[in-house]
Amino acid sequence: MGVKNKITVSKITESRNFGLLLGLAVLLILAAVITPSMYSLNSILNMLQNNAVYGLLAIGEMMIILTGGIDISIGATLSLSGVVCCRLMAENPGVPGAVWVLLALVIGGICGAFNGLLVGYFKMVPMIATLGTMYAFRGFSFLFSGGQWWFPHQFIDSYLAFATKRILGIPAILWILIAVFILAFLFLGYTTRGRRIYAIGTNRESSQVAGIKEEKVTFLAMVICGMLAGLSGMLYTANYATCSYSIGDAYEMTAIAICILGGVSITGGKGKVDGVVIGFLMMAVITYFISLLPGLSVWSDAIQGAIIIAAVALNIFTERSAEKRALKERGALI
Amino acid sequence: MSGEKNSNTAPVRDLTVKQGFKLSKFLVSWEMVLVYILILINIVLIASRPNLYFSSGTIQSIIQSGMDVCPLVLGMILILMLGDIDVSVAANMIFASMATGLCCQAGLPALAAVIIGILAGAACGMFNGVCVAYIGMPAVIVTIATSMLFRGIVKIVLDVNVLKQFPGFYTAIAWTNIAEIPLSLILFLIMGAGFVFLLQKSKFGRKLYIIGNNPTCAEYSGIDVKKTKLLVFVIMGAMCGVASIFFVGRMGGSVSSTMGTGYEMTAIAICVLGGVSTNGGKGKVYGPIIATLIMAFLTYTLGLLEVDANTRKIVTGFILIIAVLIPNVNKQLLANLKLKFIYKGNKNAEALNNRTLEEVKALKNTIAETRKDTSLSEPDKGVKIKKCEDKIASLQKKCKEQTAALLKEQREDERKAKERFAVK
Amino acid sequence: MSEYILELKDVVKTFGGVTALDGVHFQLKQGEIHALMGENGAGKSTFIKVITGVHQPDSGLMLLEREKVTLRSTEDSAKLGIAAIYQHVTAFPDLSVTENIFMGQEIKTKLGLYNWKLMTKRAKELIEPLSKNIDVSKPMSALSVAQQQLVEIAKALSRDARILIMDEPTASLSRKECEELYQITERLRDEGVSIIFITHKFEDMYRLATRVTVFRDSKYIGSWDVDKISNQKLIAAMVGRELTQMYPPKNAKIGETVLKVNNISKEGYFKNVSFDVRKGEILALTGLVGAGRTEVCQNIFGIMTPDSGSFEVEGKKVKINSPIDALKLGIGLLPEDRQAQGLVNELPIYQNVSSADMDKFIKAGKIDVEAEENKAIELCQKIQLKAKDISAPPSSLSGGNQQKVVFAKLLNCDLKVLILDEPTKGIDVGAKYSIYEIMNELTANGYAIIMVSSEMPEVLGMADRIVVMRNGRVAGQFETQGTTQEMILEASLKNEEGKES
Repeated sequence: MGVKNKITVSKITESRNFGLLLGLAVLLILAAVITPSMYSLNSILNMLQNNAVYGLLAIGEMMIILTGGIDISIGATLSLSGVVCCRLMAENPGVPGAVWVLLALVIGGICGAFNGLLVGYFKMVPMIATLGTMYAFRGFSFLFSGGQWWFPHQFIDSYLAFATKRILGIPAILWILIAVFILAFLFLGYTTRGRRIYAIGTNRESSQVAGIKEEKVTFLAMVICGMLAGLSGMLYTANYATCSYSIGDAYEMTAIAICILGGVSITGGKGKVDGVVIGFLMMAVITYFISLLPGLSVWSDAIQGAIIIAAVALNIFTERSAEKRALKERGALI
Repeated sequence: MSGEKNSNTAPVRDLTVKQGFKLSKFLVSWEMVLVYILILINIVLIASRPNLYFSSGTIQSIIQSGMDVCPLVLGMILILMLGDIDVSVAANMIFASMATGLCCQAGLPALAAVIIGILAGAACGMFNGVCVAYIGMPAVIVTIATSMLFRGIVKIVLDVNVLKQFPGFYTAIAWTNIAEIPLSLILFLIMGAGFVFLLQKSKFGRKLYIIGNNPTCAEYSGIDVKKTKLLVFVIMGAMCGVASIFFVGRMGGSVSSTMGTGYEMTAIAICVLGGVSTNGGKGKVYGPIIATLIMAFLTYTLGLLEVDANTRKIVTGFILIIAVLIPNVNKQLLANLKLKFIYKGNKNAEALNNRTLEEVKALKNTIAETRKDTSLSEPDKGVKIKKCEDKIASLQKKCKEQTAALLKEQREDERKAKERFAVK
Repeated sequence: MSEYILELKDVVKTFGGVTALDGVHFQLKQGEIHALMGENGAGKSTFIKVITGVHQPDSGLMLLEREKVTLRSTEDSAKLGIAAIYQHVTAFPDLSVTENIFMGQEIKTKLGLYNWKLMTKRAKELIEPLSKNIDVSKPMSALSVAQQQLVEIAKALSRDARILIMDEPTASLSRKECEELYQITERLRDEGVSIIFITHKFEDMYRLATRVTVFRDSKYIGSWDVDKISNQKLIAAMVGRELTQMYPPKNAKIGETVLKVNNISKEGYFKNVSFDVRKGEILALTGLVGAGRTEVCQNIFGIMTPDSGSFEVEGKKVKINSPIDALKLGIGLLPEDRQAQGLVNELPIYQNVSSADMDKFIKAGKIDVEAEENKAIELCQKIQLKAKDISAPPSSLSGGNQQKVVFAKLLNCDLKVLILDEPTKGIDVGAKYSIYEIMNELTANGYAIIMVSSEMPEVLGMADRIVVMRNGRVAGQFETQGTTQEMILEASLKNEEGKES
């Protein structure tokens, strides 16, 4: 019985990634048929570069969802950090770019800490807390920007380099994304703090008995998520060399969509970084696909919404069929 | 064991509800607090802009400015009552507006167009409801997705165009007064009365309270949880359709795909401010009705004080957070904090201090009584009072010493524990 | 004196205003198996959590090898070699067996990262002697309850536990699994581990323990050598009174069959279950926990629908697809978990009472609150509810009175058949008696009652007929007259060994 069980369990997880990859392949072939120009290395790099912030946000969001929560303020955090960095950068052009990366991390960390305080220590419902902070952060972002826009000529080169400079032919933002993927993989898979995130997501009561400080873990997850959102704010502005307070609107939705596509369970405790990476690639191809076809750009919101619903429904149905199978196995013993 | 065995002879207990209406309780109820806040905002407004406040039409226009979310608020009360959430309401409202607008454009009679709009809203609500109740998807995720989906469909249909043909009475609802009372307020109150009946008087409302507090128990009590949930989402959708009338009227009879963002947030904030718990099962309709007015006055006041729209968003955000936090900051929490920080988690110290506090209180009462007592001569009184005061002082001193000793002991234990466990 | 490895003196623990432990004592000798017994809610579970540092006691002394210790968390107790296996296995279902074993003391590489390879290897080494067919890479949720307990034991062993606490480990195990567990427990004792074995089965105690301590109502009652205390005395210590007084006399007339259950099956839960219940009769449904009794009840009440088989109410074939159908047919269920399934703690008592049938209070589309309250008062007085008034929330009541509210809720509906799933679970002795009285009064009024119960004396004392279930099937039916505990036990246990593969 033991061996049989193992095969079915791994079958489900494998088939999920497998299905995603299959879908990815189909999309790529479709794209190739419609617009053969897609298959230049440059256009693929371009596609990934312009979607990289979604990847960063998705990794952050993933940590929150693993704890069983949700954070919808990351788009606003991105905007706040982008605006603060741009304004200060434009006012102090002599300061090297690396400073702004650090500042972005700090701003994001503070935003995340505030969320973490509300959700972890004051036990607010994550949805409501981050709904509130989403508006607050976005408002602060506007205040700080004074409604102003920043354009390419105001950006210094060492700032832009963090997104666009090519190292070994690959843009820096992608190197950062890859680094974040690897770090997240190690953090979530191989460190105590990372595994605790899974632990509180899978069973809060057991966590208490095991002496895990739920508040601290939630707080940490929210700080990390905030830092990643802050970082993506800076990188977003560096990538496009423009900025206003309205950037990153509804990006949290895309991040959530990527997580769900990547097989992160919305009830917490289940989900892997590799799944999220595949989810990210899939979303990147979809958005790219949409942007390629003239007249399709108005469809992007509706398509994304539909994808989320389909992905959640798929998750639920696979879980249910697994339950049914387990019941059947047990039934055989009666 | 004795009384219960002889069931036939046991006296019949009086179980009738003894506590009737209590003014002191009523005055500190959440609804009344909201009324005070509303009055306070009005006082601020009068103090800062007396001329404007008393000029004709000001109050009416303030109220009108806040009425476009009111149908969403009413619907959201039911959703939150279930312990669910719906963030697709703004998108749904725009979707319904579009449906009405397209019908008008196609030349359908106004009434038919309005009904189609409301039905479109209800259909969207039904989609949410089926996903949440029957498929079992979390409401947050579903409505986040459908808010993109509904608005996305509007974007596909309208692209960057603006629909401008709407029934004439839309603007009338939003902008006219009847006998100095805004028409929109009258409609809001009528709808509010309907929701009071629905939630607080009818069987349907009772079912919502039961489901919101304990869905499993609701199922065991023979309540069709899924159907009820679906119905609530459909009502919410229909209210989005109704909201589209207020909203489009407010916008002067036009709608485009980018309008009305953030209305879901305002609606949720108002409900939470109105005392509806986001965990479900708690709250009434009156609170959110008053909170809607508070929000209107607040927004207007902030506008007058030259606070711009985006800063107002910050305020809305913080109102939401604070309104949720307040119920958490209660006596128990304060007692816990005191225990943690003053007594360092030492319950013995806490008990000792509480006991001493009570004894001191009793002694103080004795002193007060002695003062009032006319049968004793002044010097006798003085002696007695002095005695009590000494006793209080010694009690307090003793308590302090013992607390210190207890805490010291605890620190010692902690230190030992630390040492012991640091080795490995 | 030094023979005691662990001593607790005057331990007090309160939660809010509720006293969970009221000055209890405990002494554990080196290398013994010590049974800790007591009814549900006697404070056993809280006691363990104090020993393991989950809860910090308000006052009291804990001595480990005569040295005073203060535990700040489970980490501290783990370092001292204290480990516990809780009643409801407190594992992380989505995490692997390996990770569950090493939770809190993971093996790391020099870089500070988890060394999964080594952990998996060690986990295998730990599990192998206990059971051959547990795959350590599987998530915990894929294991049976017995297997999960073995994992917990492995976890304790991995921490070099000197003191092992087992909280009702045999509660949901088959007889064969129990025997395996006994052997493992004895082996551990022989290796020098001191064991606190919490149980309410006398069988466990006689098989394993040398000494026994009894708690009742959060208080310490006493400790005895197992071979020096009689069964009768032990029961008296646990329940606080003689057993013979436990059951009120019956005066119901048994009439025609009301409900007939024909051959119902549900995949994964039970197969081919048939029985019937008559007017004025109490039918007991008994057997071990996990034998499928609760699920059978849930199928009759429409929470689940059976895959095959049928129901007959008063001779007519009926379909029950939901609790709504069941209530309409006059079948009511008093659920096993009254907090989660029976009550809405936030709403007043009278609204709880009316919740299963509100239609009768509707006047012009509105709920007539006065009629609702009056009916609730009438019903609550009838069953002698002890409450301030009917607007109080059920959370302010004791367990027994909460159960009475659920009874009142059922009585508010027009029912013929009452299914009572463990009606006296977690209720103190005095309140139990009045629940029995209510049951007898109901049968006298013509109700048919199906009572699920694990307590053998309760079954024999209350029921007219007994259906024993075993592993999802009906294992035997008995008339109470002339049936003994041994007969029921045999039916609920026999052939178990042959079934397991």
